[in-house]
Amino acid sequence: METMQKVEPTIIEKEYNAPIKLVFDAWTKVEHLANWQFPMKGFKCAFKETDISPGGRTLHKMTAPNGFEMWLLTKYEEIIPNHTIVFRQYNSDENGEILPNPQMPNWPKELQTTIKLEESDNKTKLQLIWQPITPSEEEATAFDMSRSEHGNGWAGGLANLEQYLEQQ
Amino acid sequence: MAREKTTLNPFNAVADSNRRQLIELLARGEYTVTEVVQELDWSQPQVSKHLSVLKQVNLVLERKEGRKRIYCLNSVALKPIHNWIMQFEQYWIGNLNSLGHYLNEIQKNED
Repeated sequence: METMQKVEPTIIEKEYNAPIKLVFDAWTKVEHLANWQFPMKGFKCAFKETDISPGGRTLHKMTAPNGFEMWLLTKYEEIIPNHTIVFRQYNSDENGEILPNPQMPNWPKELQTTIKLEESDNKTKLQLIWQPITPSEEEATAFDMSRSEHGNGWAGGLANLEQYLEQQ
Repeated sequence: MAREKTTLNPFNAVADSNRRQLIELLARGEYTVTEVVQELDWSQPQVSKHLSVLKQVNLVLERKEGRKRIYCLNSVALKPIHNWIMQFEQYWIGNLNSLGHYLNEIQKNED
């Protein structure tokens, strides 16, 4: 019998001062996505493949201010207008071939992101649910460890390092 | 639970918040153990212990100047880690913040 590892998903919630239609479009139209889909100011985002539909995929390049490039492959699973978007994102090469992660072999290979939207008073509540799909025991542990300091943020408080690496 | 030894894995080495604090300090320049003790207000054995872990995983480099040992970051080893960190929650939290800025901006432009 296969033992399924139970992992608590990471859930992040946020409220936007924008109508739900606009928030949904921002997630599902490339002309919007390219303007914001990066974790910090100064990044750039360029799309090579753009099929945002259930079963479709996108491929985009994220460029950090220090010139570091990262290709991300996104496979869409479910899209319900103004409601839900489900996808899996992978590190890939520029052809969309998924890359292994030699530095962290136990990092979950399949991570699913679910975006749930809910409108109230012309504002939009967003819930992002991030979870490994059928992780091995090692993957479940790695995922749990990465957020052992949830709230404080694993990568939080590294502003100097950020700056330092940019100058290298 | 079986865990890889911290000393062998740079990712586990930086998972410790004290060591991240130490990395943050060294990002400002080179320090001796005594200087780190003064800056962080840690005990000398504590500083030595954390420096030694970071040295073993090659994230910190040590050089001698006379009788002093001076420590600095190894940016070559830190870069892949920093890039890897990007896959964490911070990536999504950052993305969601970027979306907020973007939504504010385009709605302002519509007015």
